[in-house]
Amino acid sequence: MKLSLNWIKDYVDLPESMDMSKFSYDLTMSTVEVEGTENLADRFKNMLLGEIKEVLPHPNADKLRVCRVDLGDDIYEIVCGGSNLEPGMKVAVAAPGSFCRWHGEGEPVEIKKSKLRGVESYGMICASTEIGLEGLFPLKDDHEIVDLSAFDFPAGTPLATALDMDDILIEIDNKSMTNRPDLWGHYGIARELAALYNLPLKEYAPFETEVAGNLEVEIEDSSRCSRYIGVSMDNVSVKSSPYKIQNRIWKAGMRPINALVDITNYVMLATGQPTHAFDQDTIVDHITVRRAKENETLELLNGKKLNLINDDLVIADGRGPIALAGVMGGCEDSILPTTNKVILEVANFEATGIRRTALRYENRTEASTRYEKALDPERCDLALSIAMDLFKELYPELKVTGYNDNYPEKLKKAELDVSVDWLIRRLGRSLTNDEIASQLGRLGFEVSFDGDKMHVIVPSWRSTGDVSIKADIMEEVARMIGYENFEPAPITTSFDAAINQLDIDLVRNVKEYLALRCGMQEIFTYPWMKDQYANALIGDLSNTMALSTPPAPDEKFIRSSLLPNICEAVAKNERYFDEFSIFEEAQVISSESFISKYDETEFLPKQTRTIAGAFVGNLKDVNSLFRTAKGVIEYMPRFTHMEGFTFVKEEKPVWADETVWLNIMRGDKKIGNLALLSKKTSMACDIKKVAVILFELDTTLFVPFTSRTNKFEHMPEFPIVDYDMSIIFDSNVSWKEIKEVLDKQVAKSPLLHSAEFIDEYHGKQIPDGKKSVMIRLRIGALDKTLTSQEIEKVANNALQALCKLLNASLRAQ
Amino acid sequence: MKERLQELQKTAEEQILACKIEAELQNVKNSILGKTGTLTALLKELPQLAIEKRAEAGKLVNQAKNSLSELIEKRREELKIKESEISSDFDVTIPGKLPFKGGLHPITQMCYDLNDAVRSMGFEVFQEDDVTSELYGFDKLNFPPNHPARESMDTYWLEGHDKGTAAKKLCLRPHLTGGSVRYLQTHKPPYRFVYPGPVYRNETTDARHERAFFQYEALIVDKDLTFSAGKVMIKSILSKVFGCDVPVRMRAGFFPFVEPGFEIDMGCLVCGGKGCSVCKHVGWIEVMPGGTPHPNVLKSAGLDPDEYTGFYVNIGLDRLVMMRYGVDDVRLFHSSDLRFLKQFN
Repeated sequence: MKLSLNWIKDYVDLPESMDMSKFSYDLTMSTVEVEGTENLADRFKNMLLGEIKEVLPHPNADKLRVCRVDLGDDIYEIVCGGSNLEPGMKVAVAAPGSFCRWHGEGEPVEIKKSKLRGVESYGMICASTEIGLEGLFPLKDDHEIVDLSAFDFPAGTPLATALDMDDILIEIDNKSMTNRPDLWGHYGIARELAALYNLPLKEYAPFETEVAGNLEVEIEDSSRCSRYIGVSMDNVSVKSSPYKIQNRIWKAGMRPINALVDITNYVMLATGQPTHAFDQDTIVDHITVRRAKENETLELLNGKKLNLINDDLVIADGRGPIALAGVMGGCEDSILPTTNKVILEVANFEATGIRRTALRYENRTEASTRYEKALDPERCDLALSIAMDLFKELYPELKVTGYNDNYPEKLKKAELDVSVDWLIRRLGRSLTNDEIASQLGRLGFEVSFDGDKMHVIVPSWRSTGDVSIKADIMEEVARMIGYENFEPAPITTSFDAAINQLDIDLVRNVKEYLALRCGMQEIFTYPWMKDQYANALIGDLSNTMALSTPPAPDEKFIRSSLLPNICEAVAKNERYFDEFSIFEEAQVISSESFISKYDETEFLPKQTRTIAGAFVGNLKDVNSLFRTAKGVIEYMPRFTHMEGFTFVKEEKPVWADETVWLNIMRGDKKIGNLALLSKKTSMACDIKKVAVILFELDTTLFVPFTSRTNKFEHMPEFPIVDYDMSIIFDSNVSWKEIKEVLDKQVAKSPLLHSAEFIDEYHGKQIPDGKKSVMIRLRIGALDKTLTSQEIEKVANNALQALCKLLNASLRAQ
Repeated sequence: MKERLQELQKTAEEQILACKIEAELQNVKNSILGKTGTLTALLKELPQLAIEKRAEAGKLVNQAKNSLSELIEKRREELKIKESEISSDFDVTIPGKLPFKGGLHPITQMCYDLNDAVRSMGFEVFQEDDVTSELYGFDKLNFPPNHPARESMDTYWLEGHDKGTAAKKLCLRPHLTGGSVRYLQTHKPPYRFVYPGPVYRNETTDARHERAFFQYEALIVDKDLTFSAGKVMIKSILSKVFGCDVPVRMRAGFFPFVEPGFEIDMGCLVCGGKGCSVCKHVGWIEVMPGGTPHPNVLKSAGLDPDEYTGFYVNIGLDRLVMMRYGVDDVRLFHSSDLRFLKQFN
């Protein structure tokens, strides 16, 4: 919201030398956020009102003139190409040192004394666009300079003074006053300043007329319209409003239109109360405020044609809707060029209905924005007084022919009882009853005391929901004292026990393990999935929920798995990287069951905290990519201190390759999958160049250890030898089978400590249908150093077992 | 003879000392003391000398031989220590290797930094579900029945669960505060906890607005806590994030679930509060809303608002991370673009 300081000063007597930075600070700290202030006169620095004495031809240019212009102290020659130059005309002169936008375009540039086609020019005579005033003085043709002859100031007057621009513009953040409908206008801010600075506020006497009751106004739905004042008037006309009114409307960021419309806008900007004027001649029968009938139509002032629904509130006459209540007038019955009789509307409409309608037709206006905040109906009186003062001032011949104030139920002011002791304890600062009463009194609250009990009557303009509980009263007192005047109070602690949250720590450990030990990058994706990826990765979408208003038509599904979005991320990054690994930790949501542990009437879908990831690498080396991925999962429990995982092959994930997949188990519970993304799914995901190993784990089934479980082992006193053997197996013999045989050997022989997988080889030197596996045996005794014969013997026993049980043979060296 | 010997010894000494590796030294040794070495040649000349000179010359040559042998051995020991396989044109200016490639999301990093800070102050960390009901998303938080945030223009309601009311109407959580009520309901006062997590709003996105973003809620509830106690909490959190004492101010603000409510500003760290383009020349940057939980919110959690009060802040993690690193587009956080994410590891 834009405010003019001069306008505010109409209502409250602020000191002449108001320090604007203090003003902004005080208002920001106590009430609303001031986003900025601007001294408007700065824009017109070194600009003067000039009077053209003579218009001479330019010796070297047909389209230019040389004007002799009176600037008060002397006559100056200024070259100008304006189409409407006349002797005697008053004009805006940008003297050297001022800033103008050339032809109304680009950034302002500094005006210097310079020669134009060989003739010295003392600055320039400006078009309205060149000094940012096109809103006040619209251009009629491209070469027109702004004619200021109507301004009764002598030549040489600073332009800012002549055009009433010696003013400060104040910009207020609208978001900071959504809860304060009383502040949406100059008067409201003035009232707040009067309270903050303890200054008197201008009061307006209510409008009175002897024709009261002479106009019929019907309210059909009083829950949506609590008050409707109509005033019918003769002897008005469509003409320009006085410059002062135009100037103020322009400063507040709107455009002056004509006197009748300007009055209604002026009143809204002054009081925050929207008003509207209808052409009386076009109204058939009387005005009714009612709900629209289904499919009634209305064409708005901006040309939008609406098919109304029953939730819309309209102003209607005998024929049908003439305005969308609180939003915008209809084009047929508002001010027309021929209007000479009007009906002025000053009304109060219910906030949320106005908001629904404005949003429904994407037609939010200055009026609807204000109504949405819940205005108090008492404000209609102030708006009417100011409006009627203006009508009388602008139309001395005006005749009020009818008036009706339909106000079925008067607003009840909010009343509250507050314990003084409570107030002081919560504020953490002592205050006397007088201090409290004086702070609140300045804000318009009526306060009385009975022992510890304080009775507060809230002013009407704060009674539409804004102030309703005692905490609101505490806030009012606190902000009047000033929040910065409260010292930070220490928070006292009670020591019960150390915070011990194993589940939360475990998830953090896992994420840090993946990121910091395993070199994976954490990503975040949205909770919704693109259809393409949801269909590719999730076989059956029947337990996958959807949004009723999705961000995009193909993004309605809510993730029931993290994998679709992980695959989308893979597809996006594939362009830039050949090899990478990513993971995400988030909730997945499924409608397979509903439960809430907080409220028995609540049914929340099953929500499972999950970690999923992708290892992306070369299509030609799936083997090592898989081993890397499996290692990350296999070692996760050991490094993050939780119960271990095992792998089984029981249920192939729909998206997995036919062969390369595993189910991940914790005890007998399935907690996830690890598998190669199948070629088909990969193609459906537009992943073209890389192999992808995916995993997904249900973290809620992790069982954290209460402490670290690594066990200490003595370092061996005598050497343990690493004995490597390459052994040929049939290629369908799995490591699991080999390992079982070897583990039996380890159990049997005290000299054989372990047997580990080192490497697997398929290739030229190995016959078809065979593979070579390199195995490392660890051989040694606890009490002596073994001889090489003893070592060979242990190794040979192991080899013989493999040969016998698995048809293996030692690979020739 | 004597001069030649001195000359030879001088040259040999220079050659020995100039050797950089052992092999080179061996060559030098051969060229001096070997069968065809220079000193050996001199020794062979001895018999041709006059007898009276022979003894002295022999002595001198032997002295030179011993001295050079000694020098060679000394040099050999030096080279053994010094000598390495590495060529002298080894380039030490080549950049080091990145120790690992992975990392946590910058928002997770910020979240963990904050967790560490608040844990040291005795706060618990709380987590809750992404999908909530209107009951906890709005009703229990004192949102009036017609509040605009309840509408589908603002909140993501779930298809098939968007027609009921209260506990029957489901949405992606629009904020964390409803979850905080769940915590209050199931724990015993006094409370001291934080609640990090993503929240979702149906918005048009741009560089400053996202549909999914991260909040970090902190709440203390106790008997007779004054609202200025919150200042201490905020100062502690911000100082931890930015690593220095951050000036904090609270000013009037409005949110349905707090009364009084505040906008909390921190002093601009770019200009030190003098005013710059980052803080729009006011010296302060708005970082979080906060306030005393509204009595209706405490009541909905089963607490007597006359007895209990508290302080709440809700930090927008995205914004804080943007300030920490100078990120200028909030949408990057959900882009899963590794070129972006890798910058913060």
